[in-house]
Order: sequence, then C-alpha cells, then structure tokens
Amino acid sequence: MDFQSCVKINREWDIVGARQIGREHAKKIGFGTVDQARIATAISELARNIYLYADTGKICFEIINEIDRKGLWILAVDNGPGIADISQVMEDGFSTSGGLGAGLPGVKRLMDQFDIISETGKGTEIRTVKWVRK
Amino acid sequence: MKMNLEVEVVENGSTTNVLLAGEIDAYTVPKLKEALLPLTERQNQLIEVNLEQVNYMDSTGLGVFISALKSTKQYKSELKLIRLQDKVKRLFEITGLDSIITIDSTVRGGNV
Amino acid sequence: MNKVNLDLENYRKLLKQYMITQDEKALYQAEQFTKLSMQHNISPEEIVNVHIQALKEIYPDLPKEIDDSMSFLLEAMISYGLAYQEFQSLREKQLELKSEISVAANMQQTLLSTVKPSIRGLDIGATSIPANQMSGDYYHFVKDNEDTLGIAIADVIGKGVPAALSMSMIKYSMDSFPLSQRNPSAILENLNRVVERNVDPSMFITMFYGLYDPKTSVFQYSSAGHEPGFYYNAKMDKFDEIKAKGLVLGVSNDTVYQQYELEINKGDMIILLTDGVTECRLADRFIERDEVLDVIKKFTHLPAQEAVEQVYKYFERLQDFQLRDDFTLIIIKKDV
Repeated sequence: MDFQSCVKINREWDIVGARQIGREHAKKIGFGTVDQARIATAISELARNIYLYADTGKICFEIINEIDRKGLWILAVDNGPGIADISQVMEDGFSTSGGLGAGLPGVKRLMDQFDIISETGKGTEIRTVKWVRK
Repeated sequence: MKMNLEVEVVENGSTTNVLLAGEIDAYTVPKLKEALLPLTERQNQLIEVNLEQVNYMDSTGLGVFISALKSTKQYKSELKLIRLQDKVKRLFEITGLDSIITIDSTVRGGNV
Repeated sequence: MNKVNLDLENYRKLLKQYMITQDEKALYQAEQFTKLSMQHNISPEEIVNVHIQALKEIYPDLPKEIDDSMSFLLEAMISYGLAYQEFQSLREKQLELKSEISVAANMQQTLLSTVKPSIRGLDIGATSIPANQMSGDYYHFVKDNEDTLGIAIADVIGKGVPAALSMSMIKYSMDSFPLSQRNPSAILENLNRVVERNVDPSMFITMFYGLYDPKTSVFQYSSAGHEPGFYYNAKMDKFDEIKAKGLVLGVSNDTVYQQYELEINKGDMIILLTDGVTECRLADRFIERDEVLDVIKKFTHLPAQEAVEQVYKYFERLQDFQLRDDFTLIIIKKDV
C-alpha cells in the first residue's frame, strides 16, 4: 500500500508534527472531535516510541475512501532494536509507561484495527486503522 | 474474549433433560459443573445433555463430563450426550471418550 | 522541549497557549502533563478543578453558567477517579501475584526441564510457550547409549500442584527405566493408573509417547487421547495424520493402550503438537486442521528448531498476540 504522506520522527518536536497532520487528515475524513483526539493520542504513542527507542522512523498516513466506509490508515515504521516478546508488550499493565494505560495496548484500544510485525535487530512496523462511525 | 453458557434443566420423570447453549471453557465450566453434577447423584436417573447449541468446547469442558461420568458410575445413574456439533464431537473422539460416554450419533440438523 | 511542571501555573500556561494558538504542541504537552499527574496520583476530578481555576484566572469575567457546567463535570469525573484508584490497587495486587507465580513457574521449569538430545541423523526442533505463567503442556526427551530416542508430549487438564506432579511422574517414568524396556503402551498404562488415583475427578492428561530406534528406523508410538500429529513421507511427498486411538489418562484405571509403528526414512518428518496449536482462533472462527498443516508446511524447509519458532511466531501474530492455550510443537526430521 502506498502511503500518501509521511512524517519522519527524529526529534521530540516531530511527534507534534505527526499529531497535527494526523488530526488534519482525520478532520478532513469526517471524524468527530473525540475520535480526532483519540487518533492524535494514538499517533503520539506510536511516534513517541520511535523517538525514544529507534534511530530513525516515520509515521505515514493513508486516507481510505470506499463506497460504504471511510477511514484513516496509520503506519508507524522504524529501524529500532525491535521487540523480542510482542505478547509481553501487548499485555495490560506491563507497558514501559507503567500502568498509565498507554503504550501499544492503549493504541490498540484507541483504534479499530491493529497489527504489528517486529524483529529484533531489524525494527518494528505497526499498522492501525480507524473507521468513521456512522 | 468473553464466553457465555446457558444451562436449562427440565425434569421429565426418570429422565432429566439438560439443554446447553454457548461455549464451554475454563470460564463457563464452573456453571456447568454446578448444574450437572448434582443431577447425576440420583440412582437410575437418565441425564440427557443436549449440546446442539454448544458451538465451542475445550478440554476443561471435557473434564466436567468426565467428572459427571464418574459420578454416574458411583450413583448408578446414566449420562447421555446428544446432538453434538462436529467440532465438539471430534474432541470426544480424539480423547477416546466416545467409547466410554454414550453419545447419540444423530448429527446436528438431522431428523427433528 | 521543556520538562513539564506539575502545577496549576503550568496548566494555566498550557491552556492559555492552546486557546490562543490552537497548536498541536500545547496538546502534546497537555498529554505529557496528564501522564505526569497520574504518576503522582492526581485524580481526574482534580484536573477538572485545576481547569476551572485556570479558566477563572484567564477570564475573570467567566459567565456563571460555564463555571456551573464545570462543577457539573467535576462531579461526573469523580467516578472515573474512583475507578482509576481501584485499577491502581488491582494492578499492585496483580504484580504481587505475578511474582509469586513466577517463583512457582521457575521451579516448574527447573524441575521438569528437558534437554533436546543430539542424535546422529536427526534434526530436532521443540518449542513450548505457556499461555500463562504456569504451563499445562509438557514435553520430554530421553536418549540412551544406543541413540534410542524416547519422546513424550502431554497436555495436563487441571491446575496447580496435582497437574505439576503429574508432569513429574511422566518425567520420572521416562528417566528411570532403560529405554529398551519402555515400550509406549506400557508407559501409558502405568501413567494412567497413577493419574487415575489422583484426587480430582475432573483431572486428566492427553499424552503421546513415541520411541525411535535408529538401528531399525522404526518409530513405535501410543496415544492417550492426544491431538494427532503429522507424519511426512518424503518418498511420496505426502503429509498424513499420525493415527492412534486411546483413552485419555486418568479416566479409567484399567485402560489398555494400542501400540503402533511407523518406518522413518531419509527426509521423513514427525510433527507432534498440543491442541494449543490446533485451537487457534481466526477472527470469528476456529482454524481447521489442514490450515494448521498449511502453516507448518511453510516452514518445514528450515532447520527444525528454526521451523518450530517461526510457526509459533506466525500463530502468535494470527491470534493478535494473545494465545489462549499453551502452545507446544515438536518437529523431528530424519536427515540420513
């Protein structure tokens, strides 16, 4: 899938940029205020992980415009150390943010679809989708 | 993933009909055990369990039926399972339990 | 970016900045602010209160209605605050429990560990991943001086100490007699009697036991109600189910087990597994056995250990990284 726009995440400031672009896309697609905030929060988590743990990475967006539904694809990809035990990282209460409800389980809750591929030494790729609720 | 199990017991003289619906796994097994075991503790009673609407059962579910079977041997009652869905039936077959528990081979969706 | 300070002054600054600029930076800093607040156990209604105070400072002429509406919101948030505190307390309890179970799980691993034997001509791969901390699956390898390989794979239904003890019995009976005297049906019959005598009537064990003699290339096996494995015949390039019938261990104390035989030739494979592999859930349905085999076939060209690990990763991802049952997979390839 070709992603329409990407934001490189190098410095903390780039997280804000990614949130902004994501929120703009979400507004354009027709997401309500609360969902816009949820999407921005999910982007924040994903971008923050890249900023904290990887050398380079990016957040990409793709608008989905189908006949019967609209949504936003978000891709977070990095060349960081990778996640050795994905099941552990997806467990509630054990994210590195320590019980703050955030981390990857948080992203999964904020979005509608969530998939992650990671290999130690190679990097991580996370794809999530949120659909506009009718 | 939340699992649910409905248990309906109907007494018909020397036969007790038990109708189950939903899933039988570690979460719903206590409910099944609580309902089924006491029924087996009556001599000469036939307990007929209808599993037509059970679309999932794992090995913890088997454990309850094994307990129930042992109980029928102890109290001299009888256990019979009817209308099992294919996947559930397969579980009884692989574990060899189909040779010691009476399972009515009427396939689900057969003559009503 | 500046470090976030946790006080009313800072909240007011951030709020004011956002109200003027509506820029994303302020929202991001708000997110960091609340994370820090939670770490200091500041509850949602306190945040609402800070918000009200900040609003009043920025807008001294704030209409009374807005002030009232915020008081209303504050009340509504109190329940969320309580729920959050309960969550914190439950989380602490859970961490305590987890560490207790870790001790038990470590003990289980130490006492019941098995070493993958190296046998000339065989490439062996094995993996067992528990769904929780204590595993209900068990596998064990034994090898004797003649390179005869004994292999057991079992799934214990039932929890706690009796279940773990049963695993010890399996290991003990395999380790304690010379392999030449340990034919699979006898092993299962012995174990069955032991398990049946156990207290809990709902406890039982499914088990597959096999014995491979490299001198004859014959694989003898028996099964006690265990999920059937697969056998790959290289000459015919075909996968077949390893068929074996037998009642699960622990139900009836005089069960007799039938013993079967297979000849294993060069390029052949034996694949053993527990139902944690075959009970994989896909979206709204369960996986079919031939789909499981399709997945395994994707990786069998790899060395056995790598193959089992890749198959596990594949299923892990398929189930959204939340496996419902212990997953055990063994692949034995005959190289020569």
